Amino acid sequence: MHVSHRRIHGYGRAAAALAAATTVSLLLAGCGDNGAGGGGTSAGGVVNLTMLTGFTGPDAPSYQALVKQFNATHPKIHVTMTAEPWATIGQKLPASWATGQGPDLATPSSDPGSIFTYIKTNSVLPLDSSVGTGPTQIDSAAFPAPVKSAFTVDGKLYAVPANMATLVLYYNKAMFAAAGITAPPATEADFVADAKKLTTGSGGKPSQYGISLADNNTIQMWPILQWMNGGDIIGQDGCAVVDSPASTDALTKWSQLVAKDHISPVGQSGADADTLFSAKKAAMEINGPWAAAGFTSAGIDLGIAQVPVGSAGPVTLASTVPLMIARTSKHPQQAQEFLAWYTGKTAQTQFSRISGFPPARTDLGSAVASDPTVAEFAKALPHAKLYLAGQANATSIDTDAYVPLVQKIERGADVASAAASAAKTIDSLTGCHKN
Amino acid sequence: MPTDTLRPRSAPGVGGPYDDGPRSPRTVRLITAGRVLARSGAALSWVAVIVGALATIVPFLWMLGVAFRTNSDLYADPARLIPKHWTLHGVHAVVSQLPFGRLVVNTFVFAGGTTLLLLLFDSMTAFALARLKFRGSNVVFLLILATLMVPFQVTLVPVFLTLFHLGWLNSYQGLIVPRATSALGIFLLRQFFMQLPRELDDAARIDGANDFTLFWRIILPNAKPVLASLFIIQFAALWNDFLWPLVVTNNVDMQTLPAALTLFSSQSGVDHAALMAGAAISLSPLAVAFLVLQRWFVQSVATTGIK
Amino acid sequence: MSSTPLAPGRPRTRRPHGPRPSHRPRRPRFNSAYLFILPSVLLIGVFIAEPIVQSGWMSLHDWTVGESHHKFVGLDNYTALYHDHRFWNALRVTVVYTAAVTAGQVLLGLAIASRLRRTTWYTALLRTAYFFPFIASLVVSGIVWKFLLDPQVGLVDAWLSKAGVTPPDWLQSTSLALPTVIAVGIWKNVGFTMIVLLASMQQIPPDLYEAAALDGAGPWQRFRHVTLPALRPALLFTTLIATVTGLQLFDLVFSMTSGGPIFHTESVVMYLYQKGFVEFRMGYASAVAWVLFVVILAVSALQLRLSRYRDAD
Repeated sequence: MHVSHRRIHGYGRAAAALAAATTVSLLLAGCGDNGAGGGGTSAGGVVNLTMLTGFTGPDAPSYQALVKQFNATHPKIHVTMTAEPWATIGQKLPASWATGQGPDLATPSSDPGSIFTYIKTNSVLPLDSSVGTGPTQIDSAAFPAPVKSAFTVDGKLYAVPANMATLVLYYNKAMFAAAGITAPPATEADFVADAKKLTTGSGGKPSQYGISLADNNTIQMWPILQWMNGGDIIGQDGCAVVDSPASTDALTKWSQLVAKDHISPVGQSGADADTLFSAKKAAMEINGPWAAAGFTSAGIDLGIAQVPVGSAGPVTLASTVPLMIARTSKHPQQAQEFLAWYTGKTAQTQFSRISGFPPARTDLGSAVASDPTVAEFAKALPHAKLYLAGQANATSIDTDAYVPLVQKIERGADVASAAASAAKTIDSLTGCHKN
Repeated sequence: MPTDTLRPRSAPGVGGPYDDGPRSPRTVRLITAGRVLARSGAALSWVAVIVGALATIVPFLWMLGVAFRTNSDLYADPARLIPKHWTLHGVHAVVSQLPFGRLVVNTFVFAGGTTLLLLLFDSMTAFALARLKFRGSNVVFLLILATLMVPFQVTLVPVFLTLFHLGWLNSYQGLIVPRATSALGIFLLRQFFMQLPRELDDAARIDGANDFTLFWRIILPNAKPVLASLFIIQFAALWNDFLWPLVVTNNVDMQTLPAALTLFSSQSGVDHAALMAGAAISLSPLAVAFLVLQRWFVQSVATTGIK
Repeated sequence: MSSTPLAPGRPRTRRPHGPRPSHRPRRPRFNSAYLFILPSVLLIGVFIAEPIVQSGWMSLHDWTVGESHHKFVGLDNYTALYHDHRFWNALRVTVVYTAAVTAGQVLLGLAIASRLRRTTWYTALLRTAYFFPFIASLVVSGIVWKFLLDPQVGLVDAWLSKAGVTPPDWLQSTSLALPTVIAVGIWKNVGFTMIVLLASMQQIPPDLYEAAALDGAGPWQRFRHVTLPALRPALLFTTLIATVTGLQLFDLVFSMTSGGPIFHTESVVMYLYQKGFVEFRMGYASAVAWVLFVVILAVSALQLRLSRYRDAD
């Protein structure tokens, strides 16, 4: 380094140069003007809307098809849908919307809890003014109840479901037949017995696993196992119940099945779990409608059944992606019209048919009954629960408390103490004060 | 400066002394059992070096293989490098969903344009730091060096806001200008410029050259090898950068190839062929360029590094 | 580092004896050097320095991107950080990664460079192979390795199983995940170090070796007393670059492990990303960033310092 043998009296000038540079940037910063929406109006009076989504997977064409149909039937509005990875959306959308640069419509995250952030920063439009049953109104009464309540904050509706999914039990019919099991498990007891029976091989590294469970970067599967027999993560009062007796019973049972009986590999991500099942190395997986096409194309003799019923009655996990309108959108009217059409009966029936997802409305059960796969997902809808519904800190609760808890107990940690420490983390995040 | 790294004739001592060294009379006497040991040690080390080289290449061959095989073929025998059942499905999935030509053009404009501008700005700064005297040069240099140590995530949001105020989001200047200087480049060029003989400056100045002619006519032409190295390093880095284009642009027509291809690497589906095809496609232009220019490439990086 | 001669015995290019007309008669009124540095300084000022200052300001606030008002909280974010186990864990992971990758990269690079020193068609081929991963992006490298190590479809486990070895859970095991990421980090960058060191080795005049050999020095002694001293600037350069980039570890863990299992591979930048862009706590994330920035500055200053002390002798 050439530091020592140069003279030091240059600090002032350099600092001045830097200050000048900073000043220039500040001056430039003052020149911008606010409120430029993503869309615009073209010469023919057509309103252009931009929509940013995280749908990059195999289901992407289904959404594109829906948008295309909207454009075809609405000559005065043109929606352009783009897709980017969820991680990228998370990094740019807050700043884009805050500066009025963002898209008119967006799915900010696959996590419904993300809406709180955008509501808090006043980035999104409440949709109440256009809620109703008219043809250009958003029929929120038809949304599944947990979805509607998750998207309603302080009495106002802020998002519509961009999709709706329920988890079912996928199973490999050939493996079931080979193990002499004639029907998919209907009860929790059968579920456990089948998972054990379908696990073959020895020495902690089975050649075939009973079930493929994932614990990270995945749609959550473990909450279902807890809900089955009355356990849960957070109670109505916002206090953790993940350490309640019912919860720890379930966690103990399933973590032992994984750690001792090796019914599933440990530490899989969602993609790992799908690969395991696709590679015919696991007999069952709990997953959503997006997985069906991949499993079928992998050549699996695929069975689809409802998640087995435990002592707490039928239950499964629902997931939904929120779709919201930017507050700075120049065409809120048209954006709301799009949302109304998007969640309407025609669009949802059609979307359900092409994507295999259940409709995001409760009044279309008969319309989709003809497709047995879709019908299976729709059938799960009435008793499907959202994961960490209504929690403003859902993301933190997931990454800081729940995922580490599952990962620890799968690796043999003491359930009671791991659950207690997760409960403590959750309570500090939800602001619950137990006395 | 090893401009001839890869050419045998450039090794100054004609090989001999490097590995085992020439044997002096005294050492010769000791070579009996020790020789066998040393020989087998050398043989072992060659085996290790070759195995290591295979370990650097096999992952890429495997990636190519997976890009062209069906999922069931992969599941049936993951130990195979070469597919049994070939498919273009992965490549098709990637190419059919993206405006390919546009993306390639964008990538070249972004990576190429930025690199050229960067070379100019960096060499100007490095020239001033290495060859001119001015107050504050130490501070400027230290500040520049310090910027090497800032993770991009730290400045992401403020930079985004600045670009917004400039009205540069979604534009080529927004993509290019903020990246058009690099601390690493200034650092390397400065080192190189300091080692050019002072006589060059003196002769030029006697002929009446000012700082600008000196820079443009004397220093830059002498710095071709190091500029070439820097071009390659920066071009590869910018080509591979996916986060920046995604942050600055918001429609696919302005994005770069690797940025758009992250769509395929981010999905959690089970389409291994599409995933690996995406990875292979984003790497292939650089890989082809590297293999074609391999002699020049390896040697020019070497040129940069040694200073 | 730059002030040291490249190799002993190489004619120095600085300072010929005699007058130096380029420096003496500087006109006092205007120095064109400022014009030369203007573009870079302006860009760095606007797009790096000012954002850093701004993030420092953000770190003193409860700052959510997009909110119009940000509550000033003083040093609260830093106090919270001090008590944040996950941050300390991330710092530990980052330091372990950086130390291991830097050491591995430099030592292995040195070993390979020594082996491939002579230039023949096969060493040229091997050099090319070793350098190849350097041009691939970290994300692509991470994705490819994640799949290579996959228990179901990965090549590594398949080959190990064929050889009769039970493959370990590379990325799922809490004890193996970080070492695995470290190995991939070394794999990615060892070629760069090798090439840099190789170039420096080519500069060592052969007569030094001959002289040493005449003095009875064995291969090890020649390496120790001739090669190593000549390589010092190049070693410092590669160590510094490896350290600075290692401490900014992000892409590799992001694509390979997302920081798991149970935070065992969560780096500081990964944590910063989680806080800032997933939970949108920009103030807190900025505090993380600033601590990291100071750590990187301190470590690099220390490295430069140590190397300069040794320049003295």
